[in-house]
Amino acid sequence: MSVVIWVTVGLLGATILVGLFRVATAPDAASRAVVGDLVFFCGVGLIVLVGLLNASAAAVDAALIASVLGILATVALARILTRGRR
Amino acid sequence: MIAVLDVALMVLIAVLLVGGAFWMLTAALSMFHARDSLSRINVLSPATGLGLPMIVVGAFLEHLRVDGFATGLLLKTVITVLALVIVSSVASNVLARAAYLSGAPVDPRTAPQDLERAPGEGEQVPHRDDH
Repeated sequence: MSVVIWVTVGLLGATILVGLFRVATAPDAASRAVVGDLVFFCGVGLIVLVGLLNASAAAVDAALIASVLGILATVALARILTRGRR
Repeated sequence: MIAVLDVALMVLIAVLLVGGAFWMLTAALSMFHARDSLSRINVLSPATGLGLPMIVVGAFLEHLRVDGFATGLLLKTVITVLALVIVSSVASNVLARAAYLSGAPVDPRTAPQDLERAPGEGEQVPHRDDH
């Protein structure tokens, strides 16, 4: 079973690397914000998987908080993109 | 009988975890193919609306298989999945509006572009054939 978890960790790590490369090569700021969002959600997935590997239930709480409050990061990026205009 | 169920549950968990990670990787690779930032925001939604909920549900099933059923864990998982679907939809909307207002270049065939038009200018016909 842990092989499956490690394969998933590898796929998510590859996603983060591809996303960071895309952030470096993105043409405009809005695209960078979107790909940064994707990297954030990959991090949430990695937290869940680390919780599986360590058999800790606290990771479920961490993923819950990250998914509920993840909108704050996106809204902050959106406000930065429009220089504070709504 | 129990052993068969256990194997079936393990296969289901493996499909959910690897399939969810596959959706995330697909979204990241699709970021290279989308041409403007609005398309990239569209491309993000399979990752947050399907990929990550699949991983969270797979993790819940693995906890269930190892530790047995727990009501609190089920409740947290349900809230997490609902929050992922709802929050990521609202966040994409806010981000797309901000991306358009910040003057990022969009595909000229994008229609309607109501944020760019004066009120009372009439309706735009959505683009039909995408060639």
